[in-house]
Amino acid sequence: MTGSLVAQSEIHARRILIVDDEEANILLLSSVLEREGYGNIHTTTDPTAALEAFIRIEPDLVLLDLMMPEVDGFQLLEAFRRHDRSDAFRPVLVLTADTTIAARRRALALGAKDFVSKPFDVVEIALRIANLLETRILYERLRAGPA
Amino acid sequence: MTVLRGLTRFWADRPLALKGLVVVALPLAILLGALVLLYAASNAEVRAEEDVRRAVAIQRDTYQVHALLAEAAAGVRGYALTGEPRFLEPYRKAEAELPQTMQRLDEAIRDPEVRGHFNRINDLTVRKREGLKRIVDLADDPAARRGEPSLIEQALVANKIVLDAMRQEIDLMQRRESVLLEQRRARVDDVRDRFLLLTAISALVGLLGSLAAVYLFSTGIVRRVRMLEANAELLARGEALTNLPEDADEIGKLAQRLARASALLRGREQALRESEERFRLVIEEVRDYGIFALDRDGTVTSWNLGAQRIKGWEAAEILGHHFSRFYPDETRAFLPGEMLERARTAGTAEDEGWRLRKDGTRFWANVVITALHDEQGELRGFAKVTRDMSERRRSEEALRVAREEAIAASLAKSEFLSRTSHELRTPMAAILGFGQLLELDEDALDPRQREAVSQIMKAGRHLLALINDLLDISSIEAGGAELENAEIDLGELLQEVHALVAPVVSAAGLQFSLQGPEQPLIAWADRRRVVQVMLNLVSNAAKYNRTGTMVRLSCRASGRFVRVEVEDDGPGVASAEVPRLFTPFDRLGQQNRSRIDGTGLGLALSKRLIESMGGKIGYEAPDHGARFWFTLPVRPPATKRGARS
Repeated sequence: MTGSLVAQSEIHARRILIVDDEEANILLLSSVLEREGYGNIHTTTDPTAALEAFIRIEPDLVLLDLMMPEVDGFQLLEAFRRHDRSDAFRPVLVLTADTTIAARRRALALGAKDFVSKPFDVVEIALRIANLLETRILYERLRAGPA
Repeated sequence: MTVLRGLTRFWADRPLALKGLVVVALPLAILLGALVLLYAASNAEVRAEEDVRRAVAIQRDTYQVHALLAEAAAGVRGYALTGEPRFLEPYRKAEAELPQTMQRLDEAIRDPEVRGHFNRINDLTVRKREGLKRIVDLADDPAARRGEPSLIEQALVANKIVLDAMRQEIDLMQRRESVLLEQRRARVDDVRDRFLLLTAISALVGLLGSLAAVYLFSTGIVRRVRMLEANAELLARGEALTNLPEDADEIGKLAQRLARASALLRGREQALRESEERFRLVIEEVRDYGIFALDRDGTVTSWNLGAQRIKGWEAAEILGHHFSRFYPDETRAFLPGEMLERARTAGTAEDEGWRLRKDGTRFWANVVITALHDEQGELRGFAKVTRDMSERRRSEEALRVAREEAIAASLAKSEFLSRTSHELRTPMAAILGFGQLLELDEDALDPRQREAVSQIMKAGRHLLALINDLLDISSIEAGGAELENAEIDLGELLQEVHALVAPVVSAAGLQFSLQGPEQPLIAWADRRRVVQVMLNLVSNAAKYNRTGTMVRLSCRASGRFVRVEVEDDGPGVASAEVPRLFTPFDRLGQQNRSRIDGTGLGLALSKRLIESMGGKIGYEAPDHGARFWFTLPVRPPATKRGARS
C-alpha cells in the first residue's frame, strides 16, 4: 500500500530497538522482522540499559514492552521523550500483555505512537512497524526540505 | 353613729367633680347667706333711723305749731290793744302754715298715744284759731272796741287758757315722743349690734366652713393619692399591694384598677418564672450536650449537667474561668479567640476537634458557639453547645480504615489480575507468535509438522480465549470491570451486531433476521460490553442450532428497561439443564464438544456483564427453539441493583 512512496529497502534498512525482558519475545519479534527483511535490529532484555541503548543507537523505531522489572515501559517512555525533546517523529510501538484501557491510554498519552496487545498477530505487527517507519521517513524528508 | 358612717360612706363614694363642686359651693352659699342677712340688717337700721328722723320731725313740728300759735296769740293781743295791722302778721303766717304743719304731723304720727295727744292738740288748735279769729273780729269791730274791753279781754283770757291747755298737751305729747325716740334709738343701736354680731358670725362660719370643706376634701384626696403612690411603687417593685382605698370615686376606681393590674402582673410574673424554671431545668438536665454560656470575653457564666458529664468540671469549679482551658495546647493560643471572632461576625461558629477534660484526657468534640444579642443588638455573650463525638469519630475511623482496607484489597486484586493477565499472556504471545510464523512458512514443513503446528495454534487460541474470559469474569467479580456506561441507542447497536455476525450465521446455513425498534431506543450501558454479550448470544444461537433454519435478534422497550432477545428454532435447552446455563464451564452438550468451539464461559461472562450494568439476563423456552434475553436500564440506576423489569 505504501510501497509507492518509500522503497521497501529504505524501510528495511532502518534501525529498530527492541526492549523486552522476555527473551522469547525478543526472539519472536526479531524473527518476524528478519523474515520481513529488516537488517538493523538491536535488542535488550535489560530495561535499565534501554535508555543508554536508545541514546547510543538512535533507533528509528522502538518496540517497547510495558511490564518489566526495575524500570517499566512507562518510565522509559518518559525518559525517551525527555531525551528526544528537540527531535521530532521517532515512533515508539508499545507491546504489552496488559489489556486494560488504562494502560493503553497511559502509554499513548506518554507519547507511544501505537499500541499492540500480546499475543499479537505477526502479520499485523509487521505491517504496523512498516507503517510507522514509513511515516518517520516521510517526516524526515519533509524536514529536509523539498526533494 | 351608723347614720354618720353611712353619710361618710355616701360622701366618699361621690365623684370627685361633685366633691369639688360642693367644696367650692359651700363657702359661697354661706357668703351669700351672710350678704342677705347684711342686707336685711341694713334695711332694719334704715327703717329705725327713719323712725328717729320722723320722731324728731314730729317734735319739731309740734314746737312749730306751738310757736306759731304763741306768736299769733301775741300778735293778736298786740293788734287788739293797738289796732296796728302789723301785729297781725304772725297771725296770718300761722293761719297760712298751720294746716300744712298739722297735715304733716297727721301723716307722720304712728303711735296711738301720740295720735291721741295730736287729736287733742288739733282740737285745741282749731279752738285757738277760732278764738284768735274772734279776737281779731272783735278788734276789727269798732263796737267791741269802744265797748268794754272785757269782751276782748274775756276772749284773750279764754284764748290764754286754750294756749295753756295746748302747751300742756304738747308737753305731754313731747314727753311721749321723747320716750318713743328713746325707744327707737335703742332699737337702732340694737339692730346695729345684732348686725355686727351676725356679720362676724357669718364671716367666721364661712371661713371655718370653707376651711373645713377644703381640709376634708384635700386631706381625703391627698391621703388616698399618697396611698396610691405607695401602691404604685410596690407595683413597680413587684410586691404585694397594701391597703387600698375602696371608695367608689375616681381615686377609688384607680386604686381598684391598680389592684387588678397588680394581680395580672403577678400572674404573669408567676407564669414567666415557671416557664423560666422549666427552661432552666431542661438546659441544666440535658446530659448529652454540654450547654453553657460565656460572657463577651469568653468567661464561663453558666454550666449544665451535660457539660459536667462531658468535660468533668463541676459548675463551681469552672464558673468564672475562661473557656480556653477546654482547648489542648496546640490550639489554645488561637482557636478560642478565633471561634469567638467568627461567632461575633457570622453569628455562629462551628468546629470539630480535640478538647480537654478536667483530667487532661482528650475527646473529639463538635462545638457550636452562638453570639447572643440583646434587643438593642448589643453583644451580650455567647452560648456554647459541645457534644462528645469521640464515639462517632471512633466508628468513623473504623469505617474509614475498613473502606481503605477494602479499597486496598480491591487494588490488590486488580493488581493481581493485571499481573496474572501479563503472566498468562506473555507465554501465549510466544506460543501463538512462533506458531503463526511456522504457519506462514508452511512450505518448509512436512505434512505431519504442519498438522502439529495447526493443533498448537488451535489449542493456543482456545487457551487465549479462555484466559480472556476468565480474566473478564474475575475483574467483574473484583468490582474492577471497566464499564464505560453512557446513553446508547440499542436499535443502532443491533444493526451493527447484525452486520458483524451475519457472515457467521449464514456460514451455519441459517437465516438471520433483525427486528429493530421503530425509533431510537436508549439504554444506559457500556457499548463495548453490550456488543460482547450480543455477539456471544447470537454466536451461541448459530453454533447450537443444528436442526433449525433461523436466528432472530430483536429489541423493545419494557417499562424502565430495554429488552433484547435472541431466538432460534433449534433444539432448545432441556429443562433440567436450564438452571446450569449461566454457570461457568457448564457447557451444554459436552458430548458434542469436539464439534463446537467456545470456552464455556460465554454465558457466565454475559450474566456478570449485564448484571454489572444493572440489567438481567435469562432463558425461556418458546414452543420450539430457544430464547435468550437480557434487559438494560433506560437511566442510570439509583443503586447498584436496579428494579426488575
